[in-house]
Amino acid sequence: MKILVVEDEISLLDIMVCSLEKERYVVESAASYQEAMDKIGSYDYDCIILDIMLPGGNGLSLLQALKDRKRKDSVIIVSAKDSLEDKVQGLDLGADDYLTKPFHLAELNARIKCILRRKQQDGEMNIIVDNLIMYPDQHTVYIKGIELALNRKEFDLLYYFITNPNRLISKSALAESIWGDYIDQADSFDFIYSQVKNLRKKLKTAGAIPEIKAVYGFGYKMISEEI
Amino acid sequence: MRLRQYTLRNLSVPLLAILTIWAFAFYFTIISEIDEETNESLINYKTLIFKTIQSDSTLLKDHVDIMTQYYIREISQKETNPDKSVFFDSTFQSAPDMPILPVRGLRTHFQASNNRYYELTIMTSTLEKDDMVKAIIIGLTILYLSLVFCILLVIQLVFRRSLRPLYKLVDWLKKFRLGKSYEPLNNNTEIEEFRILAQAIDEVGKQNTEIYNKQKQFVENASHELQTPLAICMNKLELMSENPDCSEQQLSEIASMHQTLRGIIKMNKSLLLLSRIENRQFLETSRLCINNLLNTIVYNCNEMYEHKNLTVEYKEDAQLFATMNESLATTLLTNLIKNAYIHNIKNGIIQINIASHSLTIQNSSDTPRLQTVSLYNRYERQSKHKESTGLGLAIVKSISNLYMIKVEYNFSNGLHLFRLIFN
Repeated sequence: MKILVVEDEISLLDIMVCSLEKERYVVESAASYQEAMDKIGSYDYDCIILDIMLPGGNGLSLLQALKDRKRKDSVIIVSAKDSLEDKVQGLDLGADDYLTKPFHLAELNARIKCILRRKQQDGEMNIIVDNLIMYPDQHTVYIKGIELALNRKEFDLLYYFITNPNRLISKSALAESIWGDYIDQADSFDFIYSQVKNLRKKLKTAGAIPEIKAVYGFGYKMISEEI
Repeated sequence: MRLRQYTLRNLSVPLLAILTIWAFAFYFTIISEIDEETNESLINYKTLIFKTIQSDSTLLKDHVDIMTQYYIREISQKETNPDKSVFFDSTFQSAPDMPILPVRGLRTHFQASNNRYYELTIMTSTLEKDDMVKAIIIGLTILYLSLVFCILLVIQLVFRRSLRPLYKLVDWLKKFRLGKSYEPLNNNTEIEEFRILAQAIDEVGKQNTEIYNKQKQFVENASHELQTPLAICMNKLELMSENPDCSEQQLSEIASMHQTLRGIIKMNKSLLLLSRIENRQFLETSRLCINNLLNTIVYNCNEMYEHKNLTVEYKEDAQLFATMNESLATTLLTNLIKNAYIHNIKNGIIQINIASHSLTIQNSSDTPRLQTVSLYNRYERQSKHKESTGLGLAIVKSISNLYMIKVEYNFSNGLHLFRLIFN
């Protein structure tokens, strides 16, 4: 899997590259409009992480260039602009997703995985981790071939864990990803605690191999044997 | 009360009083003048009669004609009082079928040349005086009314003319809003005081607008520029936490830093949102069903705050529609509903009521009545809630101002009440 990260802020670029390399992607980076244009011109990428405000040009015109060349590279826009209009504009130009700065690395990872999966498996989409199979579009999970009954939030939680296996996920990243604006930090952590506890219990009872581990004071991590 | 009416009222009361006193004084002066004249003519007549009688005592008899009459009656010496000279008002009828006439009389005593004593009563008709009084009253009334009317009219006209610059200034001030585009106050007038006032206000207005714009821009720029560094910090912490060499203690330190950072990020986002609302950057509006939005929010909040074991009484009396930007409407409702959950007590209650033009949210809480004066100010935290950014209600106010939605706060029976009234 080849990913291009376009971001003018070098520190942020380094972090993203580092985080993505951990996921064993081949990662390339570009820090300016021209550099990005050159790379896009020379290579195909599975996914491009694109900052809109770049020195030397607008990220949206990069998108336009891709569209003009009928390229199929998936694009995730990463921008400090978070108004609905900006999002709509980006998505209209053919971006696959839009992430607002600041974001959690786990969230970026989840979005990339989702897009890549959609691209690879044109038909049925499932995620397999050890003896657990998830069909995200149908909202169903099977463990050892038997369907596991989960409520909506538990399913969302599990999906987030599965897209970020073996990765420490902070409680706030979890809460924000699943409950969006409704969370209020202090209160929500009690809630996450009880929700994750329920999910762990269900997984354990069903005999799932992937296990959600609590990391003291910080968050959770899903441990799977495969990776 | 407007200045014109106020001044007119204050002027007309003393004016009416003074003019009334003046009218009465004038009336009585004239009347007493007339009486005096009549008295004088009676005395003159008396002198004339005396003279005539002294020379010819055969004339000691009554005399009656249409204008004047006199009666002579003999009296004893005892009754006589030579100094007595009494004026009186009476009526007189010359014949039974003649009209009764008002008369003024003089009664006096004298000794005739035959050394006998007489009482002389002279009466003269005052029909003319009555006519005159009537004429005076009518004249005075007309004069009085027209004078009052003219004075008030002149005051009114002069006022309107000379205060025109003031009214222009007031109109301008009414329209003046910080943050809206600045329209200079063109108030050219020859009245120096108003010119100075207009200049001063114009200058202050310009300065304030400039300062306000700079501040707004600063907040916006600062918030915007902070996003990338904040992202870097947060992501670095996340990367750090993934390092397997991290000890548990380091992880907990990282977690606490991470959480503080989340707070900053949230506040920053709220500030940006406020700036954008105030800059009117949410142009797209649609007709929204508040009931539908609220259903989702309440459903999610119920799920989130299940551990608080709250009793939620949700009542929909009508469908409430509003034309708003959807994301702002969601933010407005979420902030209010979330507050009702967050600031609630365990096993507390929440009452939500949707009517056709209003939405009422009530919740129990351990905080006493909130200070309404500063309730919607930024960074005004009236609860002990540590995590609050202090911007939630400022955002609520900002959004409701944008769409002219009235927000009311009340506290009764231990319940905090927020009500949105839609136009």
